[in-house]
Amino acid sequence: MKKLFKEQKFIVLIVAIVLYVIFALLSKEFRRYTTIIQMLDFAYYVVLMAIGVTFPLITGGVDLSIGTGMICYALVGGFMIRNYHWPVVLAMLLSVLFGLVIGILNGTLVSVMGLPPFLATLCTCMITRGLGTLLVNKQAVPWPTNKVPEGWFHSIFKLTIGRATKIPTGLIPIAIIVIIMMFVLNHTRVGRYTIAIGSNREATRLSGVNVRIYHIAAYAICGLFAGLASIAYAAATPTVQPGTGAGLELDAIGAAIVGGVSAAGGVGSIEGTVIGVLFIQILKIGLPFIGLEANWQQIILGLILIGAVLVDVIKKRKEAAL
Amino acid sequence: MKKKILATLLSVAMVATLVAGCGETAEAPAPAPAEEAPAADEAAPAEDAPAADEAAPAEEAAPAEAQANPDTNDKLVGTPFEGVTANDAYNFAMDVKSFQSTYWQAAVQGMEMAAAELGVTYDAHGPNSESDIADQVNMINADINAKPAGIGLAACDTTAVLDSLQAAKDAGIPVVCFDTGVANAPDGSVVATVATDNTAAGAVAAEEMYAALKDTIANASAPVRIGEVNQDATALNIQQRGLGFINKMTELIKADGKSVAVVGNEFYVNACDDKGDEKTADVIIEVAVPAQTTVELSTTEASSILSKDDVIGIFGSNQVTAEGLLAADDNLGKLGSDVAAGDVIGAGFDAGSVIKAAVESGQLYGAVTQSPLMMGYYAIYALTKAANGDTVADYPTGGYWYNAATMNDAEIAPNLYD
Repeated sequence: MKKLFKEQKFIVLIVAIVLYVIFALLSKEFRRYTTIIQMLDFAYYVVLMAIGVTFPLITGGVDLSIGTGMICYALVGGFMIRNYHWPVVLAMLLSVLFGLVIGILNGTLVSVMGLPPFLATLCTCMITRGLGTLLVNKQAVPWPTNKVPEGWFHSIFKLTIGRATKIPTGLIPIAIIVIIMMFVLNHTRVGRYTIAIGSNREATRLSGVNVRIYHIAAYAICGLFAGLASIAYAAATPTVQPGTGAGLELDAIGAAIVGGVSAAGGVGSIEGTVIGVLFIQILKIGLPFIGLEANWQQIILGLILIGAVLVDVIKKRKEAAL
Repeated sequence: MKKKILATLLSVAMVATLVAGCGETAEAPAPAPAEEAPAADEAAPAEDAPAADEAAPAEEAAPAEAQANPDTNDKLVGTPFEGVTANDAYNFAMDVKSFQSTYWQAAVQGMEMAAAELGVTYDAHGPNSESDIADQVNMINADINAKPAGIGLAACDTTAVLDSLQAAKDAGIPVVCFDTGVANAPDGSVVATVATDNTAAGAVAAEEMYAALKDTIANASAPVRIGEVNQDATALNIQQRGLGFINKMTELIKADGKSVAVVGNEFYVNACDDKGDEKTADVIIEVAVPAQTTVELSTTEASSILSKDDVIGIFGSNQVTAEGLLAADDNLGKLGSDVAAGDVIGAGFDAGSVIKAAVESGQLYGAVTQSPLMMGYYAIYALTKAANGDTVADYPTGGYWYNAATMNDAEIAPNLYD
């Protein structure tokens, strides 16, 4: 029990609940069911991005391309539906596949070519941003709305019955994905080697592991999840705007770090990341409801991240001193 | 080793099918690499479009007084162009930003109408995309060498064209800017600018919304709230629209003897004509600005206003924020066109297929569109007047209100891009 209280993710979960209660007391609009639904609508893609980016973060790297990448994949998928009348399923597959390709590219740049992750993914961040805009001819792309039959994919995340009833069906696939990825991280070679690479890549290599492949795999998973996130994003917003997406990756990376992923690598958990997303979403959606101006959200988020990283650094120092 | 990779790919595929949600994974994705397919397709239309557009008007625009639409004269009543006729069969060069979007195609349509009425001709040029700044500068310079009677210009970049404007002035060719003004143009080079008056466009939304809400406000026993979501507080056109709406709404409400307070974003509260007192006001105008220009953050701001019980109307002052209103309403279900039934009146700005669909269904009461068509139309008139040797003044075009009933009108529909 005492150990549980020392866990960062557990503390963050408590803080998130306290935060929710405070916002709920301050704003009667925030207390409403519709606000929870809205919070979930915009949480799914952040959760997916954050689960993905947890892997590169654990290797001691980062993936900055997930925000603009997600928009790029969503743009391309929507473009194929609108201009070439692709079935929605096919467009979704294309988006996910596109994400996977960029993920493998990131992994190759970092693992094989030896580029610093920060730079490599910053470059793919710029590439996906430009590419997405170019591919769709600079026009905003709407995916089918939930009012037409092709908009069935919205129901994966939210089932709308009539005008008023909304059921957050997205919790089911997200829960399944979270359980699978918890298993992948803790009980498969991909996951364990990801952690091992983050702790000490050289030692991992010397123990006979093909670190190149597993290092690429960490980024590939991240790219794949950015692809999945693009579907959730298209389901949550009316249109996908080219040229946007920069900054969205910070929510995901921030969530993972708040949730206990070590900025130095080697430590992290999927459940921690999910709790981190919960915390950030409550903050992001809640602050406007208590009448705080939007720019304060960013300042507060930045301060909290500094706090989270500091906790990590202090922990490391204590361990080193022992 | 291979097994491990296979296992990884398999688990990856499993997750993918989970989200895809239905058992259609047997269908293989497109064989071509994802990046290449759309790129190849994109190249073709981009090149074709301008060529087709350039050729057509130059040939068709023969003098055709008889063809003129009987309504078209209404467009000139009260404008500085009333009664203007061409002294000669002028030929103008019209440089648009590109032919990429329907926005510019609408502008060309307006030019064609004016050219037909006046018996003048024009050649329209535009680069492949609005970011091909150097291409546009080359086109303008080529136009200057061809010595047209005047040049109409929608500059892709307002600083890159300064040398060309000087050259046009030296060659004695009058330039009329449309859609976008050039602030630092050499003295005397630009004879007039025809662009949207954003303050007036915001005011149009306020007038239409007030007409719908007048009775509700008059009969309200408790304070009511009107929301406004602006993309930012920094861009001049958004500031003007936002303030145009607030000031007009305030004026209309006060004229009917009610008091108003403006609350929310500091810039708009301090910049509006009268911010009033929130404690005593009958109507509260609440202004929200998201931290970043994303639909997601606009949605959050919109729903924090829209979920309040006293809200009766809400305005999104550009495409992104108007779509934010709609996304927020997707969960709240409050917007509609039936005030008597308690619907909240929503107004948007610009177009796009999502906003158009919402206006058509009545979810949005209406929206304001800019009119590239009228800008193109008046630009030709301004050029004709300048070529005649008369002085021309800047002519601001307003915003045009559209709703389910009027969105298919001949003067509105061409302005509504997808």
